[in-house]
Amino acid sequence: MKKSTIGGNKRKLANALAMIGLIIVFIAYMFPFLMVVINSLKEKRDIIKSPFSWLFTIKGLSFDNFEKAFTQMDFLNAFKNSLIVTVSATVLVTILAAMLAYYIVRHNNAVSKLTFALMVASMIIPFQAIMIPLVSIYGGTLNILNHRLTLIFMHTGFSMAMSVFMFHGFIRGNVPIALEEAACIDGCTRSQTFFKIVLPLLKPIISTMVILNSMAFWNDFLLPSLVLTDKELLTLPLSTYSFYGTYSADYGTIMAGLLLCVIPIMILYVALQKQIIGGVVAGAVK
Amino acid sequence: MKKRFASRVLTLGIAAALMLTMLTGCGVRFGFASDPDDPNEEEKTVPIDTSIDTFEYDTSLEGTSITLLNSKAEIQTALEEMGKVFEEKSGVHVEVMPVTDGDSPYTKVVSLYNSGTPPTLMILDTTDVIALAEEKGEDLSGEPWTAQAEGYLTTVNGKVYSFPLCIEGRGIIYNQKVIEDALGETFDPKTIQTQDDFVELLDRLVDAGIEKPISLAKDDWSVGAHHLQYIYETYDGTSDGAAEAIEEIKAGDLDLNKYDRMSEFLDMFDILKKYNVAKADPLGADYDEMAIDLVDGKTAFWFNGNWAWPNLQDAGAEEDEAYGFLPYFMNNDPDDFANQKIQASPSKQVMLDGQVATEEEKAAAKEFLNWIVFSEIGQQMLVKTCNIIPPFQNNPYEPSDPLSKNIYEQVHAGTTFNASAIVPNDHWSVLGAAMQKYMADRCDRKELIRDIEDYWAEQE
Amino acid sequence: MRTKHGGKEFCMFALPGLFCFLAVVIVPFIYGVYLTLTDWDGVASVKNFVGLENFGGVMRDSQFWTSLLLTFKYVVFVVVIVNVIAFAIAYLLTRGIKGQNFFRAGFFTPNLIGGIVLGYIWQFVFSRVFVSIGETTGWKLFEASWLSDPTNAFVALVVVSVWQLSGYMILIYVAGFMGLNEDVMEAASIDGATGWVKLKSIILPLMMSSITICLFLTLSRAFMVYDVNLSLTGGAPYGTTEMAAMHVYEKAFTSRQFGVGQAEALILFIIVAVISGLQVYLTKKQEVEA
Repeated sequence: MKKSTIGGNKRKLANALAMIGLIIVFIAYMFPFLMVVINSLKEKRDIIKSPFSWLFTIKGLSFDNFEKAFTQMDFLNAFKNSLIVTVSATVLVTILAAMLAYYIVRHNNAVSKLTFALMVASMIIPFQAIMIPLVSIYGGTLNILNHRLTLIFMHTGFSMAMSVFMFHGFIRGNVPIALEEAACIDGCTRSQTFFKIVLPLLKPIISTMVILNSMAFWNDFLLPSLVLTDKELLTLPLSTYSFYGTYSADYGTIMAGLLLCVIPIMILYVALQKQIIGGVVAGAVK
Repeated sequence: MKKRFASRVLTLGIAAALMLTMLTGCGVRFGFASDPDDPNEEEKTVPIDTSIDTFEYDTSLEGTSITLLNSKAEIQTALEEMGKVFEEKSGVHVEVMPVTDGDSPYTKVVSLYNSGTPPTLMILDTTDVIALAEEKGEDLSGEPWTAQAEGYLTTVNGKVYSFPLCIEGRGIIYNQKVIEDALGETFDPKTIQTQDDFVELLDRLVDAGIEKPISLAKDDWSVGAHHLQYIYETYDGTSDGAAEAIEEIKAGDLDLNKYDRMSEFLDMFDILKKYNVAKADPLGADYDEMAIDLVDGKTAFWFNGNWAWPNLQDAGAEEDEAYGFLPYFMNNDPDDFANQKIQASPSKQVMLDGQVATEEEKAAAKEFLNWIVFSEIGQQMLVKTCNIIPPFQNNPYEPSDPLSKNIYEQVHAGTTFNASAIVPNDHWSVLGAAMQKYMADRCDRKELIRDIEDYWAEQE
Repeated sequence: MRTKHGGKEFCMFALPGLFCFLAVVIVPFIYGVYLTLTDWDGVASVKNFVGLENFGGVMRDSQFWTSLLLTFKYVVFVVVIVNVIAFAIAYLLTRGIKGQNFFRAGFFTPNLIGGIVLGYIWQFVFSRVFVSIGETTGWKLFEASWLSDPTNAFVALVVVSVWQLSGYMILIYVAGFMGLNEDVMEAASIDGATGWVKLKSIILPLMMSSITICLFLTLSRAFMVYDVNLSLTGGAPYGTTEMAAMHVYEKAFTSRQFGVGQAEALILFIIVAVISGLQVYLTKKQEVEA
């Protein structure tokens, strides 16, 4: 951003104030995470009795919670499952949504309009309203629950609307039709045009959709819990179920398990951070 | 700035991951000052004697695979253990599926039936069994184990659809040592026979320095089910009596404003409220903290059931310490059974799917149930591994934790009454809310009673 | 740019994505609507057509209307607070402050955690951490658990939702600010437009498209709040914080009135659809005028 020289001192003061305010809000935002990290390293008794106490003051630091969470979750296996589901569904929804959005933008016909309207409307369907019909169709009638593929397919379907919506905005605003017309004259087919010319232009919004979707898939609890029951197939969030007892929750293990689940997605987010904002800049708001 | 942050997070993540692999891989204990008495550290495995096994296995069932839906989270690993041993002996594979958090057992069963993959066996609450039995359940009336569970069977139109898995009892848990230390004398629970006796004891404890001697859970399942249901269960101390009371309330024949048990129950509840350690903020009470308080001696009583043992153990209680149950005193008549006996009845039931399961799966599931009751190994595992109070007369084993042991002893001494009230599934949540309101002094008795009457009036 | 091979192109580009969407969202939804007209309880093998009887059940379910009213109240608070906070923070984060990327990452982190776990963590913070702070410091504010008082529990719900939702909205507003034409802002500053005037007559109109989408997203998410509601308060104390989506779930599964629950879900959908439709229409109109 260009530095403004107008009203130097006043600007500096405002910036300093803004900075202080920001830091206060930021600390408030981070507070729960801080609590999670601190308490994940404590014993249950200390967590309950003195959640705010700093480390080392009561019985000291211990990695027992992490160890317990790691084994009880069958971490490596659950991690593998989460990875397979998240990666496949993300790739699938990104490509399919980009294509569908491209079609909608370039074809201003009734089908496009109807599809788009339906998708926007569907974003406000409460999941409760389709939960039981969904299992009764896919389980009862088609009998294909308890497969990773089914979960991947459902994730794809559920995130389609939002993804198309974002791609739609981006393509409309940032992909000049002239480029395609030129390609058309050069004899490219429609699919060549799309994959060679349009798709590379979509890079910013693709990063955005990759992170947003993979985050949602990685963390989702309700849908996988309906689809998967086989222990071997459980994803990370599902594998932490046993920490929540009937009567009381095992806070230490929950927090350790939570950190174990979050770290991978956190890394992905930090890595893609810059592109994400770029994508939203160009996509959603145009 | 971003680069640095990214690399820091990355290194941290990798370091953490490496460390964890190391820890779990080599089994090295890592920790600065971990308490050697921490109950979480090593799961104690109770040795099971497998040398004697006279149970006759049906060899034709070998290789069959059945599923068991478990809604009793605390025995998940124990059940898996049991399944493994059963598989070794019989060749039948038992897959134990947990009910995940956020789901009620009923919801889980419904969604599994809808998905076409219901479990062969399912551990459910009695109300769920009654709701599902005739539509989905297999008639188990002719099974050999029914003869051993006399008095604990649930019937639907004269037929048995479910296997009583455990007896659970509830009452006012006391920590004997805390009471004795405070009063400087031995404490005999038998000397407390009426509400007045109880209040007198409480006052003495207060004088001895335990300011608020009672822990009182605010959770709706506690106040809505475990407390409130005394008004049905103490009608005459039987399940039939409880059903009758409910019928009369529904029909409007039993006026709760004039019903003795209603006001007696509220008298007792008021006592508990008055001496509640969280009196200042009763609805802010924390379940885990109550366990810690009872063990530490900050309180001397906790209204709960024998399922609370793992929590007490987590809080530092040992198996050789003395904990036991006092009755929920309803009035000042020492001859009233409600003041002499604690409530104990079968809670979780196992139902067999009669709709989708194949004949072989059904036979294997039935064998599993009989194995639990009749085989030496099954009997031991039910009591020792699952830590359950068995409802079967032929089971010679005694539970080892003080709470279950106390219930077990009281069952055998005849100081329990077996009455379970069958109420609609939302009773605990709807009336739990009403009870919480009363607990927090947001409504009076009149309003609470009106809420209860309104609730029953809405039922068909 | 129209080709004669419209059909083929449709099959290749639009159909796969459309198929997933229809199969997973629309078909179950329609089937769900059909189920509201039957007496199916979720388990039984027979379904009888009962017409609008379930909707009659909805009318009689006073708890549903109470929870809906509460949801409205909640939505108003959440939508307003989230958008004001997110807008302000995004504004600050696009002024070239040191470490703004770090802040942006930080504010987004609540989104990296699933709703159910998040509710449990906050429950822990409200019922244990805050109370423990209150005990040590004697602050009246944290004397009792917020979750044990109806008003405070509602406030707690709003706080957590704001915390969770604002990260996403900050992202969109940041994007919006970055898309603002630098020259326009510069020109405005030279013309002497400051503070309020600048905000009101230049920034807001230019940010209208971001505002439209943020309002839409916060509105629909707030209306359908479930995860956080369930795991933070679970309706406690005494059912005073039970919102519509949670009530629907309870009705269908705890009270076992599946048809009524499904009908309530449908009514909730219609309400949200009408309100967010209206909102998009109104804010879009603003965009055009600007």
